Amino acid sequence: MKSAWTIGKREFLSFFITPSGYVILGLIALLTGTAFVLSFLTYVQISQSPFQFGYSSVPDFEETFLSPYFVFCGIMIMFLSPIITMRLLSEEYHRGTMELLLTYPLRDRDIIFGKFGSALIILLLAIILIALNVCLLLPFSDVEWSVLLFGLCSVFLMGMAVLSVGLFISSLITYPITAGLVSFGIYLLMFIVGNVAEKLPASAPLPGTFPIILKGMIERLYILFRSLLLELPLDNHAKNMALGILEPKDIAYYLLCTAFFIFLTFRSLESRNWRK
Amino acid sequence: MIEVQKLTKYYGLFCALKEVSFSIQKGERVGLLGPNGAGKSTMMRILTGFMPASYGTTKIGHYEIHEYPLEAKRLIGYLPERVPLYDEMTVKSFLKFVAQVKGVPRSELKSSVDEVVHTCGLEQVFYRIIGVLSKGYRQRLGLAQALIGSPPVVILDEPTVGLDPQQVVEIRELIKNLGGKHTVLLSTHILSEVSLLCSRALILNKGEIVAEITIDPSRPSAEIEQAFLKAISKEGLD
Repeated sequence: MKSAWTIGKREFLSFFITPSGYVILGLIALLTGTAFVLSFLTYVQISQSPFQFGYSSVPDFEETFLSPYFVFCGIMIMFLSPIITMRLLSEEYHRGTMELLLTYPLRDRDIIFGKFGSALIILLLAIILIALNVCLLLPFSDVEWSVLLFGLCSVFLMGMAVLSVGLFISSLITYPITAGLVSFGIYLLMFIVGNVAEKLPASAPLPGTFPIILKGMIERLYILFRSLLLELPLDNHAKNMALGILEPKDIAYYLLCTAFFIFLTFRSLESRNWRK
Repeated sequence: MIEVQKLTKYYGLFCALKEVSFSIQKGERVGLLGPNGAGKSTMMRILTGFMPASYGTTKIGHYEIHEYPLEAKRLIGYLPERVPLYDEMTVKSFLKFVAQVKGVPRSELKSSVDEVVHTCGLEQVFYRIIGVLSKGYRQRLGLAQALIGSPPVVILDEPTVGLDPQQVVEIRELIKNLGGKHTVLLSTHILSEVSLLCSRALILNKGEIVAEITIDPSRPSAEIEQAFLKAISKEGLD
């Protein structure tokens, strides 16, 4: 793992030798900071006159403000992550340095874990920026620690899964910009699909005259399809966790998703050795 | 030190290398000569483990490169044709990075970097960013990264291509000085380069070794030129 550390260190430092590290952390600080101020001001307005906003009493702070804020941060990281991942492997292919790396005495795992590790450290820095926003509230309110902790965890887990998807895309495409655009497109598609799926009715909207035998089958297929659309998007599983509700299936989803895409990246890098 | 047996490489239906076999002894300097598109770079890339062969075996030292890639790669220093470098890094940090990746022990890191910097004449640009280096210095840096850790086998893919005459002379001088310490395989399509730097030349044409010439420094380079042209034209007539 010493070589993975060397690769990761070089990658991480190159983020900050070039503008990309500053751009991504700056954008995250700007967007999450603005969202924090705006949503906090909205919460203050709601809590001053809850009836005006349709609430019977002052709404719960964590439920109305904190957890939606964490979910927003996760989504922000998801859409900004292609700036990190597009350069991980694509850039090595694009400028030809992959030829050097692959002829050095390195294992594929050194390259993949080194690259992924450097991206995770950038993610941790982004989470520190988000945590700093939230910590501003600590002296003034009794924030539930579980919500705070699980909220940050949900952002980290979601970010980790998103980075693994981006790393895999980056291993397939030799042009960094194309890799970034493809990753962004995939996240956007998943985000739209997740939102559309939430609006789908719970059962299939079939006309009453539909044959009963077919109706049951279509109904089952519809439910399966709908639950797939609901479960698949990366941001959907962060919602519960950001509320402080810890469900094993949500954690398992992110861990399995990360492991799956890391596995695919291994296969993708290994494919060069498949003899033709 | 290098042993190649029936090496064949297909790109789809196109056969880039056809059952190529040769061996290179320890300390030898061998030139791989051939016209453009002969398969020299493909050969180099297979020898360094960058890509697999379709068939055949390649042994570096005692290790087959496909079966024991780590062990074999530890013995190789490689300069690719289009020297790829990390432009945002400094020469110092890049060489340190390469030394670490190649597994040079921490205690020998500085001396190892200093040695290749001295050998390749990089003292003047040691603290510069790679992106601003001239083509000649980039080539020297490419050579330095290949030599770091003192690998017994050095594989150089067209090391003087695209350089001005002064830089060509400097790089050739550098390669000349490698003799004895390293086994060198050098690919080029410049005949005079081989006669100057190598003791033996393998002529590759259309993916096949068509001739092998032992170079006698006392013989004029025109003789090598003749032998090369004869081998190529004979292949063409066949």
